[in-house]
Amino acid sequence: MESDVQLSLLRGMLRVSLWEERLFRLIEEGRTSGFYHAGRGQEATAVGSVSALRSDDYLLYNHRGMGQAIAKGVPLDRLFGDFLGMVEGTTGGLGAGIVHIAWPEVGVLGQSGTLGGGFVLAAGAGLSIRYRQTDQVVMCFFGEGASNRGTWHEAANAVSLWKLPVVWLCENNGYAISVPASAALSTPQVADRASAYGMTGVVVDGMDPIAVREATDEAVARARAGEGPTLIEAMTYRLRGHYEGDPESYRTRDEVDQWRARDPLVTFPELLLSTGVATQATIDSMRAEVAAEVDEAAETALRGTLPGAERVMQGLYA
Amino acid sequence: MTVMSYARALREALAEELERDDSVFIMGQDVGAYGGAFGITKGLQEKFGERRVFDTPISETLIVGGGVGAAITGLRPVVELQYADFVSIAMDEIYNKAAKWRYMHGGLFTVPLVIRAPEGAANGGGPEHSQSPEAMLMSAAGLHVVTPSTPADAKGLLKSAIRSNNPVLFLEHKGLYGLKGEVPEGEHLVEIGQAAVARAGTHVTVVAWTTLMHRSLEAAEQLAAEGISVEVIDPRGVNPLDTDTILESVRRTGRLVIAHEAPKTGGAGAEVAAIVAEHAIDYLAAPIVRVAGADVPIPQNTALERFVIPGTAEVVAAIRSVMSV
Repeated sequence: MESDVQLSLLRGMLRVSLWEERLFRLIEEGRTSGFYHAGRGQEATAVGSVSALRSDDYLLYNHRGMGQAIAKGVPLDRLFGDFLGMVEGTTGGLGAGIVHIAWPEVGVLGQSGTLGGGFVLAAGAGLSIRYRQTDQVVMCFFGEGASNRGTWHEAANAVSLWKLPVVWLCENNGYAISVPASAALSTPQVADRASAYGMTGVVVDGMDPIAVREATDEAVARARAGEGPTLIEAMTYRLRGHYEGDPESYRTRDEVDQWRARDPLVTFPELLLSTGVATQATIDSMRAEVAAEVDEAAETALRGTLPGAERVMQGLYA
Repeated sequence: MTVMSYARALREALAEELERDDSVFIMGQDVGAYGGAFGITKGLQEKFGERRVFDTPISETLIVGGGVGAAITGLRPVVELQYADFVSIAMDEIYNKAAKWRYMHGGLFTVPLVIRAPEGAANGGGPEHSQSPEAMLMSAAGLHVVTPSTPADAKGLLKSAIRSNNPVLFLEHKGLYGLKGEVPEGEHLVEIGQAAVARAGTHVTVVAWTTLMHRSLEAAEQLAAEGISVEVIDPRGVNPLDTDTILESVRRTGRLVIAHEAPKTGGAGAEVAAIVAEHAIDYLAAPIVRVAGADVPIPQNTALERFVIPGTAEVVAAIRSVMSV
């Protein structure tokens, strides 16, 4: 992979992780709720996949998906604004938390608060692309847990039947809150189900941004060429709880430590150093630039305006 | 004016809007070459092609949710659920996605989606193919719920629904498909949320829709012979509900009967009664009476179906009861 692409993946992962670190501080300071589903550990999947999209492609992210939204280009200050409940947030002060952020100008269509509710919307967006005869694609994120919803079957069948330009991006992080994948999936891998719909299914190392990006590039090319959907299952892990404060009684410290050793925020910079793609000085200056961008975004958001009661009834109907 | 059936009026509305706007398309089960389970889309695929009018798998969450996905990306889908009872299959897509997507995402999207769903008891459809689910969806803020009672309204409301930038659940009554009536020539639009005064009167107000609107008109005709002047108001839908027209009428007549097919308990009539009680109870000379479906699943046997769904006699009896006070 070209060096500049590898460096852009690193920058993307730093933007995601430093944004989230700043959010954790806001949570600790009591400025926003701890009902946040952290993407810590899953940055390589989010950035590796979304970076393969164009600005006019569509994204339906999932509930652990701020990394996905950031990678797609949602402005960082607006995103902080949503968590702070400010009018300047993407939802205009509804206090989106993690669920209902959207930014249509970069194709972010929002998120279904009910897990798996996005599958059928992704199918509809794919239908719309074909109807309008553009070469956009739709990427729809979901966890291995949500792959058990009936909406998956209805959407996967129709999208394959009609060869719509959809990339199904499953983040298999091993747990649906507390229930391990082994207790909820009838097949060893979610990607095993792809063949039932006549589509290509691939399993990739979700801790490796290059592997995720390469798999996604292929899927996107297939979709743009009118050859239909691909199911990518990225094997990953969330290094924090389901929410901030989760007792995490369902997994062992050993297991977490094993995955922590594969933390993409550690292993990917190490790889770039070892292959000579980046020097420590390059990485340090990139991190400083991103940190400054994130700090400025947070400061901008903190200067925002809280909505008044009149906001409640606004925007219900067009 | 042209006399045509309710079914033909719906078909004309679809054809005119397909002709007028390339972003309008139709999808659903059997809506393509077959022309729909009730023939409403007959001939439309032949005329407009498979791009504009096409069949889907039996996948109600896809039909509605796919419609939402297409609507938020620039199209105006008209999707068909084969029976209105199937709203329960796609409830998340209707209640949480179509109705809420715009609001919960800060008003960044419009959802110009029409969900056509044939409702009502007709010829023994049985418990899962005969219901009128308007009350179930009445609380879905963000969604409009429309119930045309006449051919003219079927056409005018459907055209308005397709042009609306808001999601509309369009509950056409399958028992009325064969009903004939006058429809204005040319462009005919009926505003969503504007009640119709189907018959003017002075002694009692009857708020009724779809089949019960027609039975109320029959009741009014019968009672006119006895000197009772009945005003029949057809709200044409339950969200938005035209409370102004209803309250104005009740304040004038002082008596209110509400009639609909759906079960009485939790029916939309309860909301109408509550609104009148809140705003016009001082004007009432008699208790409000509701004429509604029995609180029981609708039996498939047509010999029993007619005991569950109110007829003209029940409306007449209700009007007499409020007039006797």
